[in-house]
Amino acid sequence: MDRSEGSIDGTQMALPILRITLGWMFFSAFLRRVVNVPAKMNPSSSAYVGGKLITFIPHAWLISGVLEYTLEHPALLYEFLVAWTALEAIFGLFMILGFMSRLSGLALALLVWGIGLGAGWIGTTCLDEWQIAAVEGAAALMFMFTGSRWLSLDQLIAKKYPQGLRIGRWHIHLW
Amino acid sequence: MAMDRKYVAAVLVFVVIATGLTFASYQVFFAGFTHLTNYSKTPGYDLSGTQLFSNGTLDLQISRVDGPDTYGGFIVLVQILYPNDTVLYQWNVSQLGHVPQSAIRNEFPLHPVQSDGFALVVPLGQNATVVLQAHRYISPGTYIVRVYDVDGQYAAYGRKFQATVAVG
Repeated sequence: MDRSEGSIDGTQMALPILRITLGWMFFSAFLRRVVNVPAKMNPSSSAYVGGKLITFIPHAWLISGVLEYTLEHPALLYEFLVAWTALEAIFGLFMILGFMSRLSGLALALLVWGIGLGAGWIGTTCLDEWQIAAVEGAAALMFMFTGSRWLSLDQLIAKKYPQGLRIGRWHIHLW
Repeated sequence: MAMDRKYVAAVLVFVVIATGLTFASYQVFFAGFTHLTNYSKTPGYDLSGTQLFSNGTLDLQISRVDGPDTYGGFIVLVQILYPNDTVLYQWNVSQLGHVPQSAIRNEFPLHPVQSDGFALVVPLGQNATVVLQAHRYISPGTYIVRVYDVDGQYAAYGRKFQATVAVG
């Protein structure tokens, strides 16, 4: 098993089927809030996404206290939403491009379960939010191990730096 | 090959993490392995902390704890009941549709509880104190304060939308 070199096998060639869709789930969240409907990021608009976080509170898992504190401090809530949206844009785009896919996989898993702990119980038709968190979370964790070696920027980077990012004697496999 | 064993161990750890999160949250959010319940289906309210005073003031402490996130819920009837379930006083839908905002104190600034002309609207997750006046003396004793959702129900998921209050 060789996972450090830029070798491409059949499994790697199939991964973009999932990778690009997974990345789009996050990058498109940024597009919806910033490009399509900017009111979603306007605290004085009824479309403000901050309001969604209130709906998480009744059956949130582990994070009720954090949610309530954030919602009682509107300035903090806004900063939080800007940071969250930026992270979704950055790592969603990275996943689509296959850039630092291992790091992006970890980041996306944390993002999706961050929402999942709050929203996981919500879904009027199906177990909607739970399904999102479970499937996207598992997929993102998978990319943390597989990386991306086809139709990806990592494919090019790995050819030049097959050992990952070198810090001293450590090799960090960000791609 | 030592490297490979570490890799296998790491993958197995994350198989357990991903699967564990999936199964654990399925139980936590929906009691999926014991008594499957979807709390998003129908509106539910919690009145814990509600207080009633002898001068007829009701501090209705209402939080919306179940039901759809995008809509409602709508309170159309608030009752003060004797312990034997007969009505002492009640506020009907035309009164609840016109509660002034100054009589409502919301915990969170977004998605406030408010009257919309048709009902008292309680958004999911919001927690508010709604001050209602019966304009009559209420003699000392124990009473039940109950609210009705517009669907006609005063209970959901085994929780009644009511609180037992003592007037001193």
